[in-house]
Amino acid sequence: MDAVPAIRVVDLRKSFGALEVLRGVSFDVPRGSVVSMIGASGSGKSTLLRCINRLETPSAGEVYIDGEPMGGRLSDISRMRRDLGMVFQQFNLWPHMTVIGNVIEAPIRVRGMRRKEALALAEECLARVHLSEKGKEYPARLSGGQMQRVAIARALAMQPKAMLFDEPTSSLDPELTDEVLTVMRELASDGTTMIVVTHEMAFAREASDRVLFLHNGQIEEEGLPDQVFGAPRSERCRQFLSKKLQ
Amino acid sequence: MSDALIDALNPALFWEYRLVLLRGLAFNAYVFFAAAAVALLIGLAAALLRVNRARPFRWVGTLHVEVFRNAPDYIMIVWVHFVLPLLLGKLIGQRVEFSPFVSAVIALGFVYSGYFAETFRAGIQSIPQGHLDAARACGMGETTILVRIILPQVVRRMLPEAVNQFVSLFKATTIVSLIAVPDLMYQVSMVTQQEMRPLPLYTWAALTYFVVIYLVAGSLRRLSEHWRQKIYA
Ligand SMILES: Nc1ncnc2c1ncn2[C@@H]1O[C@H](COP(=O)(O)OP(=O)(O)OP(=O)(O)O)[C@@H](O)[C@H]1O
Ligand SMILES: [Mg+2]
Repeated sequence: MDAVPAIRVVDLRKSFGALEVLRGVSFDVPRGSVVSMIGASGSGKSTLLRCINRLETPSAGEVYIDGEPMGGRLSDISRMRRDLGMVFQQFNLWPHMTVIGNVIEAPIRVRGMRRKEALALAEECLARVHLSEKGKEYPARLSGGQMQRVAIARALAMQPKAMLFDEPTSSLDPELTDEVLTVMRELASDGTTMIVVTHEMAFAREASDRVLFLHNGQIEEEGLPDQVFGAPRSERCRQFLSKKLQ
Repeated sequence: MSDALIDALNPALFWEYRLVLLRGLAFNAYVFFAAAAVALLIGLAAALLRVNRARPFRWVGTLHVEVFRNAPDYIMIVWVHFVLPLLLGKLIGQRVEFSPFVSAVIALGFVYSGYFAETFRAGIQSIPQGHLDAARACGMGETTILVRIILPQVVRRMLPEAVNQFVSLFKATTIVSLIAVPDLMYQVSMVTQQEMRPLPLYTWAALTYFVVIYLVAGSLRRLSEHWRQKIYA
C-alpha cells in the first residue's frame, strides 16, 4: 500500500461564532478506499466534508490532498477542488443546462477541455450512472434518483482523485435510493476513493473499508465496518446504531 | 360627431408626413436601445454591489438604487442636459456639452438602472446557494460562476419583469423631445408649427406607439415564456 493517503485530515476544527462544530478531527483516507461517516444530525458531518474542499474555511487544522496541503489563495483552492468531486443531498444540478450540459460544464470551463472531448467523456460518465439516454433532458424532467445520478456523473467528469458524498440519498423517496446506492457500490468496487456521509447503515457496513462515527464534532468511534457495527466500543455509538437499526 | 372630433381622428395629415414621423419613431428606438444598454450594464453593476459581502459596497449600491429609482425621468433629462455639463466642466476645468441624444440616453439609462438593479438583485438572490456550492466544488472561479451559472438563470427569471420595465422605458423615450431629441413627438410638434393642426397628429402618434409597444412586448413575452418553460417545467 502506498504511504501517501488520498485525503489526510489533521486536527480539523471549525466554529461558527461561539458554536464549536468540529473539535479536532483527524483521519486518513487511503487511495482506493471507502470511508463512511455516520452520526446524528448536527454532529458536524456536512461541515467536515465542506471543510475538506474548503466550501467552509476551517478554524484550525490541515487537510492534505495527495500530500498537498489544501488552502492558500482562492486560485490554489479552486485548482485543488478539481481533484475532489462532491455530491450533495439536494443534487444541486444547474437547471438551465441539459444533463449533458451539466456534465461537460466544468471539464470545459475548468479543465479547459475541448467540447468534443468533453462530450465523449460525458457519455462515459453518464454510462457509469446508467443514464446514457437522458443526456438531452433538462433536470426538471428527471426523477430525484436520476438527478442524483447526474450529479454523480458531473462530479466524475472532473476525474477527481476522491469523491465526497453528503447524504446522497437522504432527500430521495425510499424506492429511488437503491438506484443511487447501486451506482455508488459500483464506484466503490471500481476502486474510487470515497468519503460517504450516510444514514444508510447497510451501505456503510457492506461497501466501506472504514466507518467513522462522529459525535459532537469529534470522532467517537472508528474502525472496520464489522467492528463498528458488530461490537462498538463507545456507548453513544451503540445507542445511535440501535436507534438506526430498529 | 363634431367636426373638431372628426378632424382629431383623421389620419390624413399623419399619413402625409409619415416619412418624417417615422424617422422620429426611429429616434425613439435609438434612444431606447442605447438607454436600455446603459440601464442593464449599470443596473447589473449596482446589483453586484448590493449583494457584495463588504458593507461599503452594499451601501454604494443601495445609494445608487435609491437615488435613481426615485428621480423623476422628466427632471433627470433636463438636469443631465443643462446642469451636469456645468458640473463636469467645473471638475475638469473645461467646457463640457452633451448632445441632446447623449443627455437623453444618460438620464434614462441611469433612472432605469435603478429599477434593473433591483430586478437583478432579486434574481441573483433567488439562486439557491447549492448551485454555487456545486460550481465551486468543481473548481470554478467566481467570474465563471457569475457568467455561466448565475446570470443565465437570473436573465430567465427576470425576463417577465424586465419586459415591463422595457415597456416603461420605451414610453419614457417620448419625453426626450423636451431637450430637442428629434423623436416622434418632436417631429409632431415640428409639423404642428407648419400645419397648426396638432390633434390628429397626437391621436395617430398615440396609436402608433401603442401598436409598436403592444406588438414588441407581446412577442418578447411569448418568447421568454417559451424559453422559461423548458427549465421550470
Ligand atoms: N453556515 C453555518 N452557520 C452557522 N451554523 C452552522 C452553519 N453550518 C452548520 N452549522 C451548524 O453546525 C452544526 C453541524 O451542522 P452540520 O450540517 O455539519 O451537521 P450534520 O452532521 O451534517 O447534520 P445532518 O445530519 O442534519 O446533515 C449544526 O448545529 C448547524 O446548525
Ligand atoms: Mg449534513
